[in-house]
Amino acid sequence: MAKKLSRREFLKAGALGVAGTLGIAAAGQIGSNQPVRGHHLGGDHPHGDGPHGMANVVGEVDHVKNGFNPTDLLTDFDYGNVSTMANGQTLREYWIVAANKMIEVVPNIEFPAWTYASAEPDWKNPKPRVPGPTLRATEGDRIRINFFNGSDHPHTMHFHGIHPSEMDGVPPLNVQPGDSFLYEFDAEPFGLHQYHCHSFPLARHIAKGLYGAFIVDPVGGRPPVDQEFIMVQSGFDVDFDDANDFYQVNGIPFHFQNHPIQIRVGEKVRIYLVNMLEFDLINSFHLHANFFNYYPTGTSLTPSEYTDTVIQGQSQRGILEFSYKYPGIYMFHAHVTEFSELGWSGHFEVLP
Amino acid sequence: MAKTKRSVKKENQAGQSLRTLGLFLIPIILLAGVIALFLNTGGGVSFESPVPIEDITVERVIITGPPESPQHFEIIVRNSGPEEVTIAQVVVNEGVRPFTMEPSNTIPRLGTASVHIDFGWVEGEAYGVTLFTTNAVAFGVDIPVAFKTPENNSQNLLGFTLIGLYVGVIPIFLGIFWLPALRRLGHGAMTFLIALTAGLLIFLGVDTLVEAIEQVVAVPNPFQGFGLIAIGSVGIFMLLAAISQREANLRRNENDKRLAIAYMIALGIGLHNLGEGLAIGAAYNVGEIALGTFLVVGFIIQNITEGLGIIAPILRQRTAIRDLLLLGLLGGAPAILGTWLGGLSPSATLAVFFLAVGTGAIFEVAYEIFKMLQRDTEKRPAPMLVVSGVLTGMLLLYITGLLIK
Repeated sequence: MAKKLSRREFLKAGALGVAGTLGIAAAGQIGSNQPVRGHHLGGDHPHGDGPHGMANVVGEVDHVKNGFNPTDLLTDFDYGNVSTMANGQTLREYWIVAANKMIEVVPNIEFPAWTYASAEPDWKNPKPRVPGPTLRATEGDRIRINFFNGSDHPHTMHFHGIHPSEMDGVPPLNVQPGDSFLYEFDAEPFGLHQYHCHSFPLARHIAKGLYGAFIVDPVGGRPPVDQEFIMVQSGFDVDFDDANDFYQVNGIPFHFQNHPIQIRVGEKVRIYLVNMLEFDLINSFHLHANFFNYYPTGTSLTPSEYTDTVIQGQSQRGILEFSYKYPGIYMFHAHVTEFSELGWSGHFEVLP
Repeated sequence: MAKTKRSVKKENQAGQSLRTLGLFLIPIILLAGVIALFLNTGGGVSFESPVPIEDITVERVIITGPPESPQHFEIIVRNSGPEEVTIAQVVVNEGVRPFTMEPSNTIPRLGTASVHIDFGWVEGEAYGVTLFTTNAVAFGVDIPVAFKTPENNSQNLLGFTLIGLYVGVIPIFLGIFWLPALRRLGHGAMTFLIALTAGLLIFLGVDTLVEAIEQVVAVPNPFQGFGLIAIGSVGIFMLLAAISQREANLRRNENDKRLAIAYMIALGIGLHNLGEGLAIGAAYNVGEIALGTFLVVGFIIQNITEGLGIIAPILRQRTAIRDLLLLGLLGGAPAILGTWLGGLSPSATLAVFFLAVGTGAIFEVAYEIFKMLQRDTEKRPAPMLVVSGVLTGMLLLYITGLLIK
C-alpha cells in the first residue's frame, strides 16, 4: 500500500511538508506529487542525514522472513469463520496458536518473540506475528477461540471484555505446551479492547509479543469512514533488562517513518489505537498539524475530546477520527519523545 | 670408498640431532592430531553456548565539529570477545541514530573498527552511546564531557610538551638544585636522606602498581592486563638486577657504582613519570581532567622530591654537570613522552605495560638503595635513622599527594 520513500527524498518532502502547514504555496507544490525541491535538513555527507537528521535505524528488516509487514497489519481485521447458531446468534470461530518465533525487530537484531499466530481450522498453517491478529466482531456475537499452545512455556489468552471467570484466561487456567483450550464468550461491551497472555511473570509474557487488539463494533457499526487502521503500540526489551530498547506500532520500530501511510486530503480516517507497552507506565500519540476526535476505549459514539495528543497508560486504548485539510507529509509519534526517537514514529503521506 | 672416522662421527652427530628433532616433533604431531579431532568431532563435549559471548572494548572516542568537519562522534572499538561480532544498531541518548562503520560492521576477533555517528552534540554536555550487536548485546560508551578531541597538530603537541615539562622535567631539576646545599650535610643526615629516597621509591612503586591495576579493566581481555603487569614488572626488575650485578663486578670504584645507582633511580622515576604523563594525556583527551593550575602546582611539589631521590646516592662525590643534566632528563623527560602518547593515541594496554615496567624498575632501585644503605652503615649502624628516613620519604609523598588526588 505505502510506497517506500528513500530517506533523502522523504527529508526533502518532509521539510516542505512542515513548511506546507505554514504556507499554501508550498503545500501546492507537494500536491503536484512531483519530486520536491527543498531545503535539505541534514548536511550533505555520507553518514546518514547529518548531525541533526532524524533518529532512524540503518537498513530494513526482512518482512518476508518475519512473516508479517506492519503496513499490512494496519488493515488486517480478522472476522473469524462466521456462521449462525441455532438461536440465531452469530458465531465467530478462530484458531490461534501460541508460537515461538525469531523476529528481526530492527535490522540485524533478532528477538526471540512469543507470538499469537492466526491459523486455519485445526490450527493448520499458523502465521506468527507481533502484535497478534486483530479479532473483530459485533456486539452480541458469540466468540469461540480454539487456542493451542505450540510453544515451550505455559500461556493463556486473557480478553478484556465481559465474560465468565472460567473464560478469563488467568492462572491456574494456564494452557501447557502441547495443550489446547476453547475460549467461548459473547462479545461485549462494544468498543476497542485487547487480549494478552496472563501467565506469570506477566510483564515478560506480554513484552515478548503475546498481545493483540479485539474490536467489538456496535450493532449497526460505527459511522462509516474512508480508511480504518489498527495501531498497536508496544516496545521490545531486546537485552532483557526489563527496560524497552525500542518502541513501535505494529511490531517494527521506525516502520511508518520509513514507509509513510498514504491517505488523501479530506478522507475520513479512523485509528484503533491500543497501548500494549510494558515496563513504561505511559505511552502517547501525537498527530502533526491536525486535531482528532477521541473516543476512549471506544465504548461511546460521542467523542470525549477534540485534541492532537492523547496519553494512554498500560492497556488503555481508544479510537481516533480525523481528516487532513492539506496535502503533505505529517508525523505521528509518541509525544513521550524518547519513545519516538527509539522507533515509535511514523508519517502520513497525505495525497491531494 | 671408506669413510674417515671424522666424517662418520659427523654423520652420526647429524643422525643424532635429526633423531632428537624427531622426538621433539612427536608430541607436536600428536597435538595437531588431537586438535583436528576436536575440531571435527567436538571430542564428545558440547561447546555450544546458549548465549553468544561477545565483548567489545572502547579504545577511543574522537569528537569532531565545525569548522573542520560536521558534528560527529567516531568511536574506535576493539572486539575483545572470543568470536567475531557485528554491530547492528546505534543509540545515542535514547535515540536510534544512523551510523556507518569502517572497515566493516563485522569486527574479527581482536580487530578494531570505527563507528561513525553524525550527532549534533553540545559542548560540555554528557552523552551515552549504546552499541547493539546482532545478538542484542548492548555495549555502553560514555562521553562524560563532549568537546572537540584535540587533534595531532603542532599546537596541541606543544601544549602536551608544556604539561610534561611542568609535571616532570622542571620539578626534577628543581630537586637536583638542592645538591650544593645537601653536600654540606653530615654523614648521618646523608644516610637519612638515602633512606628517605628508598621510602619515596617504595611509595611511588606502590602508587604505580595500583595505577596499573586500576587500568587493567580498560585493557581488552585477550591482552591480559594482569599478565602484562607480571611480565613488565618482573621482567624489568630482573633485568635491572642483572645489570647492576654486572656493573658491580666491572667497577671497583665506589663513586662509579653510586653514579650508576643514581642513573637507575632516574630511570625508575622516569618510567613512573611516563605512566603519569600517559594518565594525564589520556584524561585530557576525554575532557576528564581539571588540569587547573592547582593540580600542576601539586605535581611540581610532589615531583621535586623525586629530584631529591635521584641525587641522594651521589651527595658525597663530585659529579659532572653533564651527568646531572642527563639524570634530570632521564627522570623527567619521559613525562613529556607520556603526555604525547596518552593525549594523542591513548591505549590502556600500553599504559598498563609502561606502568608495570615503572613498578618493577622502582622496586628494583629501592632494593639497590637498601643494599647501598647496608654498605654505608656497616661500620656505624644507624637502624632508627634508616627507619625514620624511609617513613619520612613515604609520608612526604603521602602529604604532597593530598594536593593532587
